[in-house]
Amino acid sequence: MTRKKMSIRDIPREEAMWPGNPACQGCAGSLVGRLVYKALGRNSVRVEVASCAPGFMNIRVPSFFSPAFEGAAAFLTGLARGYKLIGREDIIVAGLIGDGGTVDIGFQGLSAAAERNENIFFFTYDNEAYMNTGGQRSGATPYLARTATTPISDVSRGKAEEKKNMPMILALHKVPYVATASVAYPEDLIEKVTYGKGIKGFRYMQINAPCPTGWGIEPKDSIKVARLSVESGIWPLYEIEAGRFRLTYKPRELKPVTDALKIQGRFRHLSDDELSVIQEKTLGEWERLVGLDGKELY
Amino acid sequence: MKSEVMVGNKAVAYAVKLARANLIAAYPITPQTTIVQYLSEFVAEGELKAEFVNVEGEITAQLACLAGSIAGARAFTATSGPGLLYMHEALHGTARYRAPIVMAVANRGVRTMGPDHSDMMAQRDTGWIQLYCENNQEVLDTGVMAYRVAEDERVRLPVSFGLDGYVLSYTAEPVEVPDQEEVDAFLPPYKTEYPVLPETFDEDIERYKRHWAQGKSIDEPFTPLAADESFSHLTMVNWGGPHDQQWRWRSHQDAMTRAKQVIKEVDEEYGRRFGRSYGGLVDEYRCEDADAALVAMGTVASTARAAVDRLRKDGKRVGLVKLRSFRPFPREEFQRIGKAVDALCVLDRNISLGDEGGIVYNSVRSAVYGLEERPMVMGYHLGLAGKEVRVRDIEKIAERALAERGGAEPPVRWV
Repeated sequence: MTRKKMSIRDIPREEAMWPGNPACQGCAGSLVGRLVYKALGRNSVRVEVASCAPGFMNIRVPSFFSPAFEGAAAFLTGLARGYKLIGREDIIVAGLIGDGGTVDIGFQGLSAAAERNENIFFFTYDNEAYMNTGGQRSGATPYLARTATTPISDVSRGKAEEKKNMPMILALHKVPYVATASVAYPEDLIEKVTYGKGIKGFRYMQINAPCPTGWGIEPKDSIKVARLSVESGIWPLYEIEAGRFRLTYKPRELKPVTDALKIQGRFRHLSDDELSVIQEKTLGEWERLVGLDGKELY
Repeated sequence: MKSEVMVGNKAVAYAVKLARANLIAAYPITPQTTIVQYLSEFVAEGELKAEFVNVEGEITAQLACLAGSIAGARAFTATSGPGLLYMHEALHGTARYRAPIVMAVANRGVRTMGPDHSDMMAQRDTGWIQLYCENNQEVLDTGVMAYRVAEDERVRLPVSFGLDGYVLSYTAEPVEVPDQEEVDAFLPPYKTEYPVLPETFDEDIERYKRHWAQGKSIDEPFTPLAADESFSHLTMVNWGGPHDQQWRWRSHQDAMTRAKQVIKEVDEEYGRRFGRSYGGLVDEYRCEDADAALVAMGTVASTARAAVDRLRKDGKRVGLVKLRSFRPFPREEFQRIGKAVDALCVLDRNISLGDEGGIVYNSVRSAVYGLEERPMVMGYHLGLAGKEVRVRDIEKIAERALAERGGAEPPVRWV
């Protein structure tokens, strides 16, 4: 498929979102909805499950709230099959799902839909915890982050485990398209969505979506944090098409992770030792990905 | 029309094929499994044109059916026992969307493999219509009728129908299979009345805004926007709109009430077309001059029928009320029957732990409570976890009812 390299000027001017938005100030999740549906266009439908999104996503396409938190992928499956039955495979069946609905409670059904290669586009706006219920830990919460259920005390240093690597897990289901994106790189995001919507089968995109309320950042710093996460290697931008891995953004030199972490309240407790552990892990993972760049994943 | 000796699960599969369901999503569980196997064969052989979704669990089975139904499919799923419990959350969702899905349940207990009705009874308040079948012929006929009821404009509700696990699901009986053309005339291929399409989104919104502007909720049975009102998908439009969601329950209850009439009409029409009907909500057997009537659901009704025949031979005036539709519950029928008999013996293949008596017993008792001369209502728990129910057991129950009628109401008993 031909591919157009996009710049910020290629972002469609037409809004799929209504004006006005009751999300928290600086909510990147809201921006995800806006950008994704700008690129998908209005010949699409949207599925949501329990998350912040049903409260603020005013997107002008038929929208469904799946009546079970765990059921996003199954609901998308049913819509895709149903529209196929009435001869409307042109309708893009997409979901805007939070990280909990993706990596935790929605995992089983999502894995199954990926395995069946359902014709759906699954978007995860990843704010790395259950922000809608007050910021509890999810499988997508990064290592050592403070959340409402991984508090900081003498015996607890935040989340003891690492973030579940959902894009790679889904890529190994051998699906047609998997990508990561960031609200700080809208041209990259739009390019991937535009490309992905032309592919038939299961497509997954995980988008870093800083949450000022949950992450303890200034609303004005959402994009800054997202950008520093990419520039430090914490949130690498890549895509995996039919098994081929490609980094879509390679900073000449990675910034130190502390640049991204020190302005986030959820990491304020970190000691120098802990910061260097995260630095080391991040570099290790980055080098692994650079090694994979341009290669077949399976 | 052809006749074939088949197990209950195959009768279900034939019903689904005849109904031309075109989206099937299910997950295997004993004793339901072969329903889906037969269906996947029909699909693989090209005898049934359908999207077949081999999901990884029952919740997703239900949700795939629900979403498919919204997009325009005639959806079917089947499950049993623990699978139905796992599906519970999604059942409420399907009912809330008022999606006309049909589901077969090979009734299985929830603590053992044996058959009883505790699986479907645990879904009592999800807002699904619940029908129970006595034999494999009724299973096939009910499966076809279920879509007519579900899709009727006065109803628009999901319908479940039960066949006792093993006793019917795995037992072969001769079953008459109607011709496809005749079923097509009774139940034409599905076309949704409420398409949900991107191109009509703006006008849909304008329509809803007009509703809201008048301070009204959208009392249309089936639109995702209506169903989603409470979730503020349309936050900016919806704010200032009516946020009272209780009306939705009320509207659903009204549909359940209307379903009573629809179930009767559909059953009568089926009788006219195919020569078999089942009495609508209840099937009364030898009740005309009965002093006592047994009340049973599913295959227990079959056993009770045999008991009635034996007792009648001895001149004992006993009848049977087979309860076909547990939801909606035929209160009016029980009031009519209750006036005519001295005793109603309710045979419950279920239990609501912590209360006295089975679930059907309490509903029957509540129905006749307002009668000036109400019959004695006797309750029995039997057949739980697949415990054998013998004709002799039921004969004894009826004889006891004849002997005890007119006296004080006895406590609930176990067989």
